[in-house]
Amino acid sequence: MSDLLKELYQEIILDHGNTPRNFGKCEPFNKSADGHNPLCGDKVHLTLLVDDQNIIKDIKFTGEGCAISIASTSLMTQNLKGKSLEYANNLFQDFSNLVTGSSDELQIITEEDSLYSLKGVGAFPMRVKCATLSWHAFKSAIDEK
Amino acid sequence: MDQIELKENIQADFPALNKKILKNDLIYFDTAASAQKPSVVINELSDFYLNHYSNVSRGVHTLCVEATFKYEDARKKVQKFLNAYSENEIIFTKNATESINLIAQSYYQRYLKSGDEIILSVMEHHSNLLPWYFLRDNYGIVLKFINIDSDGNLNLDHFETLITKKTKLVAVTHLSNVFGTITDKKLIEISRANDLHILLDGCQSISHIKVDMQEIDCDFYAFSGHKIYGPSGIGVLYGKENLLDELPPFLGGGGMISEVTYDGATYAALPNKFEAGTPPLVEAHGLGVALDYVESIGMDKIEQYEKILTEYADQKMADLDFVINYSKSKNKTSIISFNLNKIHAHEVASFLDVEGIAVRAGHHCCQPLMKLLNVTATSRISFGIYNTKSEIDYFIDSLTKCKNFFGVK
Ligand SMILES: Cc1ncc(COP(=O)(O)O)c(C=O)c1O
Repeated sequence: MSDLLKELYQEIILDHGNTPRNFGKCEPFNKSADGHNPLCGDKVHLTLLVDDQNIIKDIKFTGEGCAISIASTSLMTQNLKGKSLEYANNLFQDFSNLVTGSSDELQIITEEDSLYSLKGVGAFPMRVKCATLSWHAFKSAIDEK
Repeated sequence: MDQIELKENIQADFPALNKKILKNDLIYFDTAASAQKPSVVINELSDFYLNHYSNVSRGVHTLCVEATFKYEDARKKVQKFLNAYSENEIIFTKNATESINLIAQSYYQRYLKSGDEIILSVMEHHSNLLPWYFLRDNYGIVLKFINIDSDGNLNLDHFETLITKKTKLVAVTHLSNVFGTITDKKLIEISRANDLHILLDGCQSISHIKVDMQEIDCDFYAFSGHKIYGPSGIGVLYGKENLLDELPPFLGGGGMISEVTYDGATYAALPNKFEAGTPPLVEAHGLGVALDYVESIGMDKIEQYEKILTEYADQKMADLDFVINYSKSKNKTSIISFNLNKIHAHEVASFLDVEGIAVRAGHHCCQPLMKLLNVTATSRISFGIYNTKSEIDYFIDSLTKCKNFFGVK
């Protein structure tokens, strides 16, 4: 069995892919966005509750997609809940670097972090979009005024 | 089952098939998206640029004569391959998508008015949907869609119920890029009996079954050269001469005119009327060479061989209880869409990629159809002349490995 596949599909990815965390819709929510990958049909719908201190009080998602995209979304929600938007923006940049193979430039994510499990995507360029779909949706949710 | 020999050592004709994916030999099961190219085609492209290149039809010097000859010779080859009645019926475009857009726009201008109806099917490629959506959105043309039965065949009874006095044209696939279903000849009979014009999207049929325009008797037929072992960037529109003659031009520019003044222009005769600007001349020549190559093997033999491969894969896949096969028509060839139980098509495609097998995963440019099937994506294997039964055996083993890797029961 190829090591690349084992890298890509680590235990934690398969776990989150099969049983995503924070699946559903925030009630109430004050920000939301849809992500859609027209090339493959994957979809994600994000809802967030952000307080006036710019802290993400709650974040949930629904959608359909492959294990990589579902796991990435599930891990994203876990890593963003309770964090500030400023931190989230930095994490977004870090995550993009991680999955596009620039992991030596990481500022926040360390090898011990759950998000680090998505590093293996770097060896599959066509799958990077699967991993970043929900992150881009998150960006558009918080950038929307 | 007998292993019929298509051509001795055929894989050696396709240099790209020597590629290794990680340590595995490449198995190319994505011909429906685009076919690999034989060396003869690759070499002829380079020979054209090295020894014969100039623009066409616009000069008297030797290179211009040679380039023009090669370009027009390609047209003759396409005419012969399709058994079209005349060379004037062969229009070069950049791909099937452009061919269909050309017909949609020109046909509308000549024949349609708001409220007129066009019939498509629910299993069309986006390339045979969007050009017609433009007519619906901009000019009030009504679109109707032929249903499919549970095996992925066009429901021709339903087709008949869609036809009204306002129906002018039916535009459907000749061979489904999702199911591999070959469109029943009866569709043509029904259309003729109701005075409809017929456009067939031949993107898939061109390389998998023998097509003869005079026998099929459609009015328009579109295909892309890259699907039949030719280069990218060249497409064909076939149209019956009397109809093409009546249609107004699509794009305007050099090469499509007869006379131009500051007040207006008159247009060139067929086929030039529809070929504005410098054409993909080298690619056209490459397509001609590809058709020669295919003919040297024989379309009859190819059709028979690929049907045997398809049946073989079908049977082997039927033995795997975790495989859902969506391509169920009895009248199909070369294309099988499937999913593995509870595993997303992306996972399957990435897994197979690492095994060396190139398959497609996604909606295959048929989003509405995927919705109808109630799936977000499928995986698809498709065969070309270079594929073999032993490749299918390896693929079947890999499917089982994939299932085990993802731990699905
Ligand atoms: C049935 C069908 N129609 C149309 C097309 C579009 O072909 P092209 O992109 O070469 O114009 C394809 C290719 O994917 C196809 O399979």
